Amino acid sequence: MRVCVIVLVCVVFFLIPCPGDTKIYIDISSPGVRPLPIKIISKGPRAREIEWAVKGDLEATGLFEFVDPDVPGAELIVNMKADTDAGLSVLFSIRDLIENKEILKKRISSSRISIRPIAHTIADDIYKVATGKKGVFRTKITFLKDSGSGKKELWIMDWDGYNVRRLIAKGLTSSHSWSHDGRYLIYSAQRYKKWKIYTLDRRTGRESVLFYSKGLNLVGGTSPENIVAFSSSRDGNPEIYTIDIYGKNLRRLTRSIAIEVSPVFSPDGSQIAFVSDRGGTPQIYVMNKDGTGLRRVTFEGSYNTSPAWSPDGKIIAYTGRINGKNQIFVVKFDGSGNRQLTFDGNNENPSFSPDGLFIAFDSDRDGYRAIYLMRINAQWKKRITPRVMNASSPEWSPYLK
Amino acid sequence: MKRYALIIALLLVVIVGACAKRYTRPPEKAEVPKEEVIKEEVIKPETEEVKEEEIAYAREEEVTEKEIPIEEIAKDVLRDIHFDFDKYNIRPDARPILDEIADFLIKHPDINIVIEGHCDERGTNEYNLALGDRRAKAAKDYLVSKGVSPSRILTITYGEERPLCRESNEECWQKNRRDHFVLMK
Repeated sequence: MRVCVIVLVCVVFFLIPCPGDTKIYIDISSPGVRPLPIKIISKGPRAREIEWAVKGDLEATGLFEFVDPDVPGAELIVNMKADTDAGLSVLFSIRDLIENKEILKKRISSSRISIRPIAHTIADDIYKVATGKKGVFRTKITFLKDSGSGKKELWIMDWDGYNVRRLIAKGLTSSHSWSHDGRYLIYSAQRYKKWKIYTLDRRTGRESVLFYSKGLNLVGGTSPENIVAFSSSRDGNPEIYTIDIYGKNLRRLTRSIAIEVSPVFSPDGSQIAFVSDRGGTPQIYVMNKDGTGLRRVTFEGSYNTSPAWSPDGKIIAYTGRINGKNQIFVVKFDGSGNRQLTFDGNNENPSFSPDGLFIAFDSDRDGYRAIYLMRINAQWKKRITPRVMNASSPEWSPYLK
Repeated sequence: MKRYALIIALLLVVIVGACAKRYTRPPEKAEVPKEEVIKEEVIKPETEEVKEEEIAYAREEEVTEKEIPIEEIAKDVLRDIHFDFDKYNIRPDARPILDEIADFLIKHPDINIVIEGHCDERGTNEYNLALGDRRAKAAKDYLVSKGVSPSRILTITYGEERPLCRESNEECWQKNRRDHFVLMK
């Protein structure tokens, strides 16, 4: 597997130095934010395709309003000039139309005609200028594709559903997790009647076994220190364990006669959210990373599973069963502020974007299982995997270099 | 004429003899006595060999005679047991089936089994894998409590990943919430 097919090279990078210039055009933390009017003008070969992809990225955030080039009223203008003499090269600039000054000018090039990676890079830059925050347009999502006869494959795609590729074809792959640096994928798979936890080094393309015992071994999440939390029934009953990415320092964290599964770390790695049916039904619990300080987070409903921790550590998204259907909920990590985000069909397996603005999930709302994105405010839900592909269990990557 | 006929007859005999000699080389008449001596020695091992073959054949037959019924019996005995939604306790209706399986395993100590734990589609995938693990273990624990050695039972969970029935109704879901028993090869 080739990890880096395209190497983007910023040939020229000259930020016009403006002392104290940290103007933010959209404050995404304020409620009821008004979209920023922006103009994009593109010239040169393939420029229209790049512009389309850039607009697709920015549109998904709901924070931009595109103004026609001949119509006044935009606050920012982006000028792009594409050139395909050697590979693809785009010179673009972002200009503040109110203060009439150039904020950013940059040339991005690739040795091949790589429209989408270049467009995502430009969109990230525009987003950064407008919001002061890092965009997620160059992140990726891994997911499972049902290939029939009880087998599931691990696949990867760009955040917008393009550039879909298969990573692991063998056996029945299930839960999976990204390491915080994006280098490793850690996943559980059943092959030859054995459940093992594997790691895939995306740099070398090498797969190795991280943990194996009899029974079920199901990976949950990974901490910033590359500690892997997982559920194992090695001692007879699914309990939570941690191990480091090199397969050392195995620790057992829970001791109960109940099911304990799906452990995910808080973003700082200090706590673990997981599912336990110790109270009679599956509910979300939180404990410290050493297994102490256990507390229950969900109290409504009788089937709450698959927790995901938001990147700011404040909320946990999970799948809750209500009126016979599975839906995505969010709850504050202290158990307050429970809120339902989906209502059509069955919606499961939430995963946050690294900026916390989007949730990826799977849904059968259109009659087949597919991956969808939504904004954290439950607006704008969009399917990103094709109809013919039975896709589920998305895991959003961290920011990637 | 008679002489000629005799000569021809003799010639034919010689030719035939020569031919016969050429084509039936091993039983050379000159060696017959030797062969007979050897034969006497050979007969014993030959008969022994034959006996051995017969024994082997008989043994093989015995094995196949046994094997066919065992798989057939297994088919009748190793029936699926079913569970309630989100539960892994052994239901009363599953106990007679498990008792029969325990008897069968105790009667045939050379047989090992795999218990597959399965769930319906309504739960979430990861939790269902854990639930299937517990369902398989529940049946294993029951069989062990009836005197079956735990080393003869392997458990595996498939969660909701290998449904028997693909419709979305309670009848179908009940079929899928099962432990399935398989003879280990």
